[in-house]
Parts: sequence; structure tokens; C-alpha cells
Amino acid sequence: MQMDIQLQNITKQYGALRVYDNFSLTVPDQKVTCILGPSGCGKTTLLNMVSGLIKPDSGEFKGFTDKTISYLFQEQRLLPWKTVWQNIDFVIKDIYTKQQRTEIITKYLKMVNLYDFRNYRPDKLSGGMKQRVSIARAFVFPSDALLMDEPFKGLDMELKISVLNSFIGLWQQDRRTVIFVTHDIDEALYLGDKIYVLSGLPSNVKQAINVTVPKKERRYGEGRLKELKDELFSCSCNSWDNVCINQ
Amino acid sequence: MRDSTTATKLLHIASVAFFVGIWWVAAVIVGSEIILPTPLETIRSLLVIIPSPNFWPSVVATTTRGLAGFFLSLVLGLMIGILAGLSKTARILIQPLMIVCRSTPVMSIILLALIWFETNQVPVFVGFLIAFPVIFANVTEGIKSVDQKLVDMAHIYKVKKARVVFEVYLPAILPYLIAGISTAMGVGWKVVIAAEVLSQPKYAIGTNMNLEKIFLQTGGVFAWTIVALLLSYISETGIRLLQKKIITW
Repeated sequence: MQMDIQLQNITKQYGALRVYDNFSLTVPDQKVTCILGPSGCGKTTLLNMVSGLIKPDSGEFKGFTDKTISYLFQEQRLLPWKTVWQNIDFVIKDIYTKQQRTEIITKYLKMVNLYDFRNYRPDKLSGGMKQRVSIARAFVFPSDALLMDEPFKGLDMELKISVLNSFIGLWQQDRRTVIFVTHDIDEALYLGDKIYVLSGLPSNVKQAINVTVPKKERRYGEGRLKELKDELFSCSCNSWDNVCINQ
Repeated sequence: MRDSTTATKLLHIASVAFFVGIWWVAAVIVGSEIILPTPLETIRSLLVIIPSPNFWPSVVATTTRGLAGFFLSLVLGLMIGILAGLSKTARILIQPLMIVCRSTPVMSIILLALIWFETNQVPVFVGFLIAFPVIFANVTEGIKSVDQKLVDMAHIYKVKKARVVFEVYLPAILPYLIAGISTAMGVGWKVVIAAEVLSQPKYAIGTNMNLEKIFLQTGGVFAWTIVALLLSYISETGIRLLQKKIITW
């Protein structure tokens, strides 16, 4: 069943600081929605509320009650004592039979080019490889929605594009509703179908755009994306200087 | 690298030689075998006790008692420690008992155990009661140190609670647990032998030590002490090997 996720009249306050006040947003089904905004403006708070890790003071998440979620974190959050294979197996052991798991994990590890590294522990992998493991783990888990909290932060450009491409490859084959939080305009334009620009405190949607260029035709930071970037940038540069909090 | 390990080894040998030398000189100055036997006399006593018929039964019996008390404390310390690490209520409830366990003089525990248990069980009980709070404290500390982000991850992926305990918490606290085992065993052997001296089981290192003392065979007391030291050394080495084998990440 297709159903958009609606955030309605969300209010969240930390002490005297109002991060969200009557905040509303629509996340289209089976699309990549980017929440773009400067660091410390409550983007992670928003994801944590969507995932249920923290509760809003008031407001509703519609179309979200029965949805299961995967989460891609800023850090990979792999268990250091488990191999790549075991780390992925960890999240689906209660769901599938052994044979099913073997098939699924093999498929996804091959898609992120890590099948040959299945018996490695995380400390033997590079940052980009670890992030690919966590992407594979997020897709292996049978979720309706995928939340991403700046998972590409801290990767150098070449690596970032390769990890982004791994993500796009997986997503094209297995479309989930994605909420992707980032402060990086290029990343948002490369992955997003819809981009919301947040600013201010309490946060509000400064601008919303649809990116209609097919993902396969996008070039990171170039072409049509460059024009969209200029458009977004002109809107956001003055607002990004506004007061922000550090969560 | 190799030079430095060789140098360390040489320093170790030099240090041991130095202290044995001091012991020897002191023994010669004192000039009384009953007060302070020389290293040579100690070795002679060692050569007398090792072939004696009750040597191995005594060593085996003491080892068994130590390990029994220790495993009891490991199992209970792990279970209650995890519970207390995860639940604040459990932690508050168990706290007074732990404080009492930790602060009660070893002698009180031994004397009470003598009243409550038969001779063979006294050292086991005492060993258990001394090791238990150490294991418990380390397990609780370990649980507190577990990366909350990994736990959140498991929570988001709806991993069952039992599996989170066995696959996230338990491996994460292993280094703490092994450090706890090491400390507990170090103290454990000492109190087990002390309890044996007072409870006098038929076969025991402590019983033999006491006998040697009664007959004023100070060399014998020294010899049995060396046996106890070796026992402690072997268990410590075993734990270190275990640590290397288990914690490979």
C-alpha cells in the first residue's frame, strides 16, 4: 500500500529552546526526500522523532504507524567483534531462515562489492567500506522507510561518490521511502527527489524543490544540478547564518 | 623490538636474582633456619615435599576448591552484574549486599564459614565471597561502558533483547570481565589458602603450611608458599592466554 508520510504540527522543545514549532512536512512514498540545513538545526532530532528514539512534545506522524524502518547513522555502528557477514546477519536473524539469509546477504554484499570481504572484521576495513556494510545492512533489513543521518560525512570526494553510487544502485532495485538529512547541497541534489531546505529556530521549511533529473543522468555537482545548487544557495546562504543549536 | 624484549627479559632475571641475593644474605646474617631459611634450604624442603604422597592430592584439592569458588562467583557475578548494569532498580537493591561483601574482614568470613560449613566447603565459600564482588563490579562497569549507539542500532532493527545481551553486551564487557577474573583469582588463591589454614581439610596447601609451622619447619612453610605462588602464576598465565584467544578484535 502506497502512502506518504506526513509530519503534522510537530513541536519539540529542549528547555527554553524551541527546535520545532508547529512544523509540518510531507515525505512522498518510495522517493528520496532530503532535509537540507546547517549543522545543529535539529535535523537529527527530526530523524530521531520519526524513528521513535525520542518523542515530540506534540504533533503526529501520519502514515507511519505500521512502517518498519532502517537507519543509516553518521557512524557505521558495526559490532567490532562480528565479521561483515555476521554484522548484517545480526539484524535479520530473527526474521528469516538460514537459507534465506544466506541468499539475501550474498546478494546485497555483491551489490556493494564487499562479498570478498565477508569474513573481515570492521577494524580491517576502510571508512568507505564500513559505510557500505552499513548501507547493505540497512537494505537487507525488510523496512518500508530508510532514515539517513549524514552517512556520507567525512568521506573524501572520490570515495563519497562511490558510496553514493552504491546507495543509488541498491535503491534503484529496491525503492524505499528515504528521509535523508544532510548539510551538503551536492549530496542532496545527487540523491534527492524532493529537497526541503530548513532554517531558523524554531526550524521551518525555507524552500522546497523537486529534482526531476533521473538519477542515472546526474553528475555530482555538475550540469543541471549546478543550476539547482545556485538556486538553492541563493535562498539558503542568508538564512544559514541564523541561530542554531548543537544537539 | 626483539632487542627490547631480550632486554626486558634480562632485567626480569636480574631483578629476581637481586632479591634472591638479598634473601640469601639476610638468611646468612640471621643465621637461624627456624626464623629465616636460606633459598637453598627452601629448595631442599621443596625437594622433600614434592615426592611426598600427599603433595599432589593437596595441590589438586586446593586448585579444585579455588576453581569451584571462583566459577560460582563468575556465574553469579555475571548474571547479577548484567542485571544491575541494565536496571537501576536492581543496582540499588543489590548495592548494600555488595558493600557488606567488600568491607567484611576476610577473617570474619572465614570464622563464620567455619561455623556454617564442613571443612572442605569453607575455602570454597570464602573464595566465592571474595571473588564475587570483584566480578560483579567489573561486569556492571563493563555494561555501563557499552556503546549506547550500538544498543540503539540493535533497538532500531528490532533485535530481540536476549540476542542484544548475548551479542552486544556480553562481547563488549569481555575485556572488563577478564580483568575482573584476573583480579579475583589473584585475591582468590590467597584467601582460599588462608581459609584452609584455619579449616584444616585433609588435603590442602593451607593444611600443609600449618603443619610445617607447628613443627617449626620454616623451610617447609616457604616451600609450600612457593607452590602457592606457582599456582597463582599458572592461573594468571592461563587467563592471559585466554584473553589473547578470545578478544581478537
